[in-house]
Amino acid sequence: MSDILKREVVYAITGIITVLMLLEYFFFDTSQAWAEALRTWAVIIYNISLFLGAIRLSIAHSVRIQEKRRDWQYSGILMAIFVIQLLTGLAAYITTGVATNNGIYNWLFNYVYTPLGATLYPITGFYIFSAAYRAFRARNIDAALMLIAGCLVMLKNAPVGEAIWIGFATLGNWVQFTAQVPGMRTLAIVGALGLIAFGFRALLGKERGFYAGGGE
Amino acid sequence: MSLGKLADIDRRVFYWILFVALMVPFLSPIGFPITIAPNTQDLYDGITGDEVNEGDVWIVNFGYGVSAWSECHPAVTVCTKALFREGAKIIFTGIHVDLELTYNKLRDTCSEDFADKVYGEDYVFLGYMTGGESVVAQLASNIKSVYPADHFGTPYDDIPMLEGVVDHSDIAGVLSSDTGDYGGHFMTQWQGAYGSKVAEIGIAMNGSTDLPRWQAGNFFGVSVGSRGGAELELLIGELGEATTAMDSISVSHLLLILAIIIGNIGVLTEKLGGKK
Repeated sequence: MSDILKREVVYAITGIITVLMLLEYFFFDTSQAWAEALRTWAVIIYNISLFLGAIRLSIAHSVRIQEKRRDWQYSGILMAIFVIQLLTGLAAYITTGVATNNGIYNWLFNYVYTPLGATLYPITGFYIFSAAYRAFRARNIDAALMLIAGCLVMLKNAPVGEAIWIGFATLGNWVQFTAQVPGMRTLAIVGALGLIAFGFRALLGKERGFYAGGGE
Repeated sequence: MSLGKLADIDRRVFYWILFVALMVPFLSPIGFPITIAPNTQDLYDGITGDEVNEGDVWIVNFGYGVSAWSECHPAVTVCTKALFREGAKIIFTGIHVDLELTYNKLRDTCSEDFADKVYGEDYVFLGYMTGGESVVAQLASNIKSVYPADHFGTPYDDIPMLEGVVDHSDIAGVLSSDTGDYGGHFMTQWQGAYGSKVAEIGIAMNGSTDLPRWQAGNFFGVSVGSRGGAELELLIGELGEATTAMDSISVSHLLLILAIIIGNIGVLTEKLGGKK
């Protein structure tokens, strides 16, 4: 019985819903009430998965703290902020109806999260700079072509490129709008075909990873 | 130092060079001229002039967080200004947990345009949504089912601007600004399914994905990274954050190319010298 529940019922639900959604997308001009209901369920399940993710995250980090594993202090900071944000956000939501109507909640967002978020992304620039020097080596003709194309696009994107020589803009535009587009279109089409094939395999129960049973 | 040693410079040297070099344009702006890319021009043309009627309702989706403000926010600022000045009404949505920060920043960067607009009548902040492509599809068929209330708890039916706004057919266009692929979701579920007008404001890395979609007509326009933002600032005639950043982009890109050349000189010298 449990095997039927784990496999056949899940296959059947997935198959029926997939066929219904495909029908609605391709054969109806207007949105159908039954499709809307299914999509609403998808959004609800997605939200539940976020809730489960939060629980799983807190369990994993609590265990790390309890067992004092390597760098457990970071888990401690994470859990402290998690609990503070959760409690202050919930308190504000219950009292005012808006989770962000709380000084502590906003302070953490404005003066901890914002500077950290704004710093994190630009830091990658330093790594890219160093990596460009160490990794972008023209060891063969393919690598050389990629390097030249990359440099042309960089010179096209940076205004200094056009200031040095106006031809960099023309060459960079050719690389970006003409040379790379067939490759990206091919990737997109092949990816879509692969997704269709994957979908069919999943419907037929051949893609077991899709049903979270890949390793069994 | 022999040329061969050029292949083996400590990474910290590069960090310091970049750090110092980036200071220069901030202390003494250079101001290289900027030309407008056709994809940016199409985006601007699509949100101005005859393309926008007074009272049209547009969606601006924040698909980026604080970390991508430098790349996406200038373009979103210009688009918001342009739409408001054409008399359009805007629904703001988002998929990042920090979208309220982004919304507040937008109110700050477009403060003059927001000043004469009334919340609930000219614009509304519906807030956070989650659910991937499913929620974008659901938004196309029934906006109220995704957002029964706005971010501040006001019921959907009590917001005057949203009266009669039910689904995709009531929305004149969508501007999705992303670090991920929500623009792609809007393309599939709005443009592909119903022919809605969709444009993308992406980080520079998304350019290679977004430009073929623009060329194919799926997006009516695309803004690529800070450069796209600077081009839009130039088009609307109000230079801002992105234009300021262009000098830094120039310096960093030049240094990057220089680093590649130095690294390759070292490798070439080693090869010619027979060193493995």
